[in-house]
Amino acid sequence: MTVSLELHDIQGNVVKGYGRQHFSFARYILFAIHDERAGRKFIRNILPLITTATPWKTCDNDSGGVPKPEATTNIAFTYHGLKCLGLPESSLHSFPTDFSDGMRARRDILGDHGKSAPENWDPVWNHPDKKVAILVSINGQSTVAIENRYKEIQKILEGVKSGMEQLCGHRGESGAEDLPYQEASAIFNEQGDPTPKEHFGYTDGISNPFFKGTGKNPNLVIGSGKPSRDNPEGWAPIEPGEFLLGYRDESQETPKAPTPPLLAKNGTFMVYRKLHQNVNSFDTYLSNQSTKHPEFNEEEIAAKFAGRWRNGAPITRFPTEEEADNFVKSVKETKKALDNAKDAIELEEAELLYSVLLSQYSAFNYDEDLDGSRCPVGAHIRRCNPRGSLEYGTKAYATPGALTNRRRLLRRGLPYGDSSDRSRDDGNHGIIFMTLGASISRQFEFVQQQWINYGNDFKAANEKDPLLGNHGVDKLGRGNGKMLFQKNKGSDESPYFCSHIPRFVDMHGGEYFFLPSITALHFIGRGTVDGT
Amino acid sequence: MGNISKNAYGMTLLCPIRQDDAAHSYSNLTRDCLETLPLHDNSPMAKVPNTYLCRLYVLDDVFYQGAPANEEHLKSKYLVFCTNFHGDRDTYLRGMWNAVQEDVKRIWGYCIAFDKVKTAGDFVAYAKQCQVTNSLFFNGSDGGPLDEQLKALYLRQEFTRFAFDNFGKSAVELQQAFREFVAIVQPDNLQTPTWAPGMTQETQQLQYSFHTAARKEEYA
Repeated sequence: MTVSLELHDIQGNVVKGYGRQHFSFARYILFAIHDERAGRKFIRNILPLITTATPWKTCDNDSGGVPKPEATTNIAFTYHGLKCLGLPESSLHSFPTDFSDGMRARRDILGDHGKSAPENWDPVWNHPDKKVAILVSINGQSTVAIENRYKEIQKILEGVKSGMEQLCGHRGESGAEDLPYQEASAIFNEQGDPTPKEHFGYTDGISNPFFKGTGKNPNLVIGSGKPSRDNPEGWAPIEPGEFLLGYRDESQETPKAPTPPLLAKNGTFMVYRKLHQNVNSFDTYLSNQSTKHPEFNEEEIAAKFAGRWRNGAPITRFPTEEEADNFVKSVKETKKALDNAKDAIELEEAELLYSVLLSQYSAFNYDEDLDGSRCPVGAHIRRCNPRGSLEYGTKAYATPGALTNRRRLLRRGLPYGDSSDRSRDDGNHGIIFMTLGASISRQFEFVQQQWINYGNDFKAANEKDPLLGNHGVDKLGRGNGKMLFQKNKGSDESPYFCSHIPRFVDMHGGEYFFLPSITALHFIGRGTVDGT
Repeated sequence: MGNISKNAYGMTLLCPIRQDDAAHSYSNLTRDCLETLPLHDNSPMAKVPNTYLCRLYVLDDVFYQGAPANEEHLKSKYLVFCTNFHGDRDTYLRGMWNAVQEDVKRIWGYCIAFDKVKTAGDFVAYAKQCQVTNSLFFNGSDGGPLDEQLKALYLRQEFTRFAFDNFGKSAVELQQAFREFVAIVQPDNLQTPTWAPGMTQETQQLQYSFHTAARKEEYA
């Protein structure tokens, strides 16, 4: 069935990520609301700036759409924020408890302990009397565009005087503790071009769920939709209700959502987490492990951890470093040929080859690698998106995605900070991780608790995700994470063991947000949510 | 057979509780008794041979789910006892009586006709009267005796530790380490070292490496 999404009513960054569309910079601003009327006025005044999912006119697409902006603006609310804005009790009570509890209260589910415990988060999350109510995010094609948009928002804020307050307390460079906003940006290479890398050196954000109604190239469904035995390609688009409220979801229902229905429709929930990356621990671990156990070199261990080579090539499809390098080299060469095509025929050929090559980053599953001898069963991408492999080749369920279709995460976000000094962990470097979905508990929290911080579903006992797991420490202060790199069943070779993996990623603050539709923003801004 | 899976048995008893009288609610007294039972390895059920897991609760009534369902009620309240164990039913029940008969008398003390249960044989006969057949019994193990299963789980966990600890050693070193490992974990000895029934927290003494000379500093 064809689904048409109301793109003009859905906030931008939901249907298509900004990151892949040359928005290399972002700024995240948190606000408290002291006066309900002021909060509503702020929303009414910022509404004209809010970016929707309406397609952009681009050089290769002039068939309608709006001009692509230099900067985008989006707005989201915590449960506390919705309360401050005077939503009726009946609506407030209709929100799911994961959202109304908030991230801090869910720390045990998320494994946010020790250095990652809420009391150690950036001070902005710990103001005793000023709780975060609103998140405004600006994404920009340049820092100038960000700054200009930021100034516009500052003016709107001045218009509500003391009724709202921009919260300071984001940590930044050189021990700064009280910054007024969180900056984020792609990591730039020596030529000054933005890269898709994160601070551990991996190409990030490659695979995102393909769902109905986005208008994306239908070929991209392979590897990004849901695994399916009914489709000849083996993949089908996911129902949009997994990511947007008010549409059919994978249980063939409209997802549970707050009332009235128009408050929810075209909206979604967003998880925001500032994830600090311990770059020194990561580099040191790879180097020590490969020195001590040289069967795998640093790159190979990094690839086994992630399930992708750091250049992005999936290890299950490109099991050797050489194959992965050759693949990425041919992608780059084809892109060059595409850019330099002399005539229409050359262009068409290059385009065809390029799209075939690009699809290989995502178009794979683990059917030929059930034992995990190429991509370990506990590798990061295999945990977070098992691609039907939890059926273990048995065809035990009506669909191979039975255990995974309702756990997919739409990932957004950008790196922050600078990791050029890799001699220490405590610099300012990490990822602003954001994920969108119709149910925080069913999707994000489940993945975090069961698949990142536990291994039972992968028959990996209590092993955690090597990269993101909340590994503890033993009595000598060493990390107690572990991971097994499998070999083929029946092979004489011994498996490869990684012990004493330390915690590579610490949580530095975050919250659960509701990202309403444009219609709902009007309701909230006017104070007319209760239609009765 | 709904109650048997390999060598595992799933037993469900519905034991009617006496009707309340003017002075007592016998179902509340039963519930009080259950709620104050010690937990985990201190539970009386941890002393009952071959118990994999079990559950005791009071069933007050069935729920009326609304029209068009017929509204129905139970004739009495029940003490429900579900237990999964190794072996045959009668042996298990006799073992239970012999191990924890004082606890059994307290737990079942408010059930109809339990005052007539005086011996292990009476307890078996009583249980048979109260037993219902399971329709969806699932047992996640091979149904072996409990001590074998606990030892196997213990060995598996310690062997995982051993594999991670000794990765990369030469064949000679590995063999030496494995000999030491075997001497510590004693694979053929079901009594010790092993996990105790009902145990939820592993002690340091159970970690094989605690007993190795090379790892002393870690446990200091």
